[in-house]
Amino acid sequence: MKYEAVIGLEIHVQLNTATKLFCDCHNRPGDQPNQNTCPICLWLPGALPKFSQEALEKATLACLALNCTVQKESAFDQKVYYYPDLPKGFQLSQHHRPLAKNGWLDILGEDKAVKRLRIHHIHMEEDVARLVHETEGRTPVSLVDFNRAGTPLIEIVTEPDMRSPHEATEFIRALRAQLRYTGSSDCSMERGTLRVDANISLRPAGTDVFNTKVEVKNMNSIRNVADAIAYEIRRQTECLERGEPIVIHTRLWDSEKNVTTAMRGKFSGPCIPDPSVPGILVTDAWLQEMSDRLPEMPGQKSARFLKEYGLNYEEASSMTQEQELSEFFEEVVKENLPPRKVASWMATHLIPFLRDNNITIKDTPLTPKRFAGLLFMLENGVINANAAKEVLTRLVSSDQSPEEIIEKGRFRQVSDNEELEALIDGILANHPSDVEDFRNGNPKVMGFFMGLAMKASGKKANPKLLKEILTKRLS
Amino acid sequence: MKLKDFGGGFAPGSRHNRIFGIRLAMAPDIFTYKNPLPQTSTEGGVLAGKKVVIQPSMSARGWLTNAGSPALEGFVAIEDATVITRIRNAGASLVGSTLMSELGFGIYGDKGTQALCGGEADIALITDTMGEVRVAAATSGLFGFKPSYGIVSRFGLIGIVPSMECYGIMAKSPEDIITTMGVIIGKDENDFSMPDEDLPGFSMPGEPPGTKGVAGVIKECLVTLDDTEIKAFESLLAKIEEAGLIVQEVSLENFGLFQAVHNVIGSVEASSSAGKFDGVRYGHRTVSAKNWNEMYMNSRGESFGSLVKAYLFQGAYFQFENYTAFENACRIRRRLIRDTEKLFEHIDVLALPARRLHHDPARAGTVRETYDAFSLTLLANVTGYPSLQIPSLSPDSGADPGLQIISPRLSDARLLATGMSIIVHGAKKT
Repeated sequence: MKYEAVIGLEIHVQLNTATKLFCDCHNRPGDQPNQNTCPICLWLPGALPKFSQEALEKATLACLALNCTVQKESAFDQKVYYYPDLPKGFQLSQHHRPLAKNGWLDILGEDKAVKRLRIHHIHMEEDVARLVHETEGRTPVSLVDFNRAGTPLIEIVTEPDMRSPHEATEFIRALRAQLRYTGSSDCSMERGTLRVDANISLRPAGTDVFNTKVEVKNMNSIRNVADAIAYEIRRQTECLERGEPIVIHTRLWDSEKNVTTAMRGKFSGPCIPDPSVPGILVTDAWLQEMSDRLPEMPGQKSARFLKEYGLNYEEASSMTQEQELSEFFEEVVKENLPPRKVASWMATHLIPFLRDNNITIKDTPLTPKRFAGLLFMLENGVINANAAKEVLTRLVSSDQSPEEIIEKGRFRQVSDNEELEALIDGILANHPSDVEDFRNGNPKVMGFFMGLAMKASGKKANPKLLKEILTKRLS
Repeated sequence: MKLKDFGGGFAPGSRHNRIFGIRLAMAPDIFTYKNPLPQTSTEGGVLAGKKVVIQPSMSARGWLTNAGSPALEGFVAIEDATVITRIRNAGASLVGSTLMSELGFGIYGDKGTQALCGGEADIALITDTMGEVRVAAATSGLFGFKPSYGIVSRFGLIGIVPSMECYGIMAKSPEDIITTMGVIIGKDENDFSMPDEDLPGFSMPGEPPGTKGVAGVIKECLVTLDDTEIKAFESLLAKIEEAGLIVQEVSLENFGLFQAVHNVIGSVEASSSAGKFDGVRYGHRTVSAKNWNEMYMNSRGESFGSLVKAYLFQGAYFQFENYTAFENACRIRRRLIRDTEKLFEHIDVLALPARRLHHDPARAGTVRETYDAFSLTLLANVTGYPSLQIPSLSPDSGADPGLQIISPRLSDARLLATGMSIIVHGAKKT
């Protein structure tokens, strides 16, 4: 039987507020252990929760960015379970009445068609403390760091609309782009400010039943999410083919062995309305104020880039992932350069460079004008693509102008006919058998000569001219 | 709705007694903590010269604050509760904290009354979760007042039923209650749960309803009383009439459900509230445990007395096994509040006895016995209404069930004024 996967995601996003959700402690989990604590987040006897307005604002911006309907009334509940990372004996979370419902994001499916994936709801909750288990030594101890306890999170719960690892990862990318624009979170899976749990079940392809799902946790990159889902689909398929029933449980992704391992039965404790955190009432005026704070969001911007600059969907989406890069792109295009050329150069050279060095454009001396200068010289045949790549690495590490770099580094392209003809004649003279081969009808030899000539010119030859001369000489 | 009472057959915590036995040997009195420097202010203030005792569940900086439970063994408050700050600032002399029932559930072992009767204090603050301040006052011929829910900050108060409990004031005179209310009432930036609303003012005594006022007596409450109680209550009603109020019988069909609703919601909230007593950050921690779970279970098992333990078990049962019963209780609670509110379209105050004569709250050892002893005071906790216990003015108070008057939320000042007029008129006649 052919199965299809039914995938839903539960995504926790850490909000970058100044303080914790229910007290005035710094929201800096990475500080010295237990430095950012107070009677409220340690939940000492007699403590009462306050409520961070900033957290509500940032959570609301996130809900709006994910096209959710913010609820007029929402409230906190006590999710009861006992664990040392939980100072109250319950976690404050909006279980019964979440902040927002019914959102969506559009992604590009594997078939290149736009697919709308729905969000069931978004709720606010507090994070728990961090546990450190020291098992070495005579007496094993467990240590609790309460810096993270009570820091604000939102949990985004999707509908089970995804059918493949590709759709899940595209959803996470789109969500990350939308949320980063709001300034509510840096959304880094590597740093743990974006955490994804995936619920996966299988059903016979084409049916619409919902079977027992398995939850997979502990993925710390988007790639991990894709791998974990793909693994889980294979594992469940094999189970079903062997006739083993799927039981509801939680599995952990092991990124070293590339497998998921069973962790525990899925536990869901009771959720009791909390009597001490005030209910949240949202007015239309306040919601409008929040809405007005949002910039043009990547989804909208991407649609505009499609129309205004003639980019394709992938180019538009890649140019709008980061607000800073999207603005840079538009500045460069304004210098009268072909938009697709700019997008292609940014996507294949600039963005990977920034990512590999873990920096943003602002960390470099690169300006839209300087980048445009480089692309102009490429367009006008002053330099070739090889040289342009070299020049780019210098543009981001010095403040010399592209012209200076090209002159000093002698990157200028060789477009002198006589010089190139002499170079080619020399090569042909040294390879008579290959010339023979070409004339006997092997077109591959052209590439071989191109490579030799380019190398001989110190990679500076104008490739167009080179090809012209070669074709003429060989015919 | 079916109720399970896990309390049956348990005797009140033997461990509990042992712990206090040690304390008693060291400080053979009624205090958990006695303030060595009770004079906190020399600048006067409306409470200047008044001696106040509190419970060790009310945070006073530097004081042992164990809420009557080994679960808070050795816990010393690191800041003042808002109410304590306000009382200090009003010039009161904070005498100390008295021994109390475990986590303020019931009045088993509570010594606040003794401090007042023995002249150690003029005013005692006692948490009122199910009627403690009123029942304790009624057993000793004192005034006991539970204010409207949400008008006094709960910041720094260690309790177990956050949606029902509040500071109660016990005193020999209603004037002391009015003065204390004027001091402790009001918004607090540390208690976000207080609604934004116009609060009653206590600077001037409120206007009593006067001769046209009506005091309602709940028919369904009367049928639960025995002949002695009825007789005693009737003589108290006579005093109300002497004060110019008209006594009228009213019907609150579901009066019997206050007990069930308080019991279910109270135990669920208690189970949640007491979740923090895990021995991780403070309080009693077991000496031996192989892992987390064992540490939790042993620490908690060794900490709580059997009455509280039974109550927490019951709450956990509703949380984990019978959530529907809890949801029903919440729904019925809203209904009871509506029904009670409706009564006040025709009456000014409700009049009830404060306590049962044959159910001794100081001896109640099970959850059921405790609820039976407090059956007449629960209404005010479930609805959040203010309630005043007025002691009998007759010299023979042995069979005094207490007179409890109740009025809608935020009518505290007027309720106290009504209480004053009843006493004044009652005193004239006697």
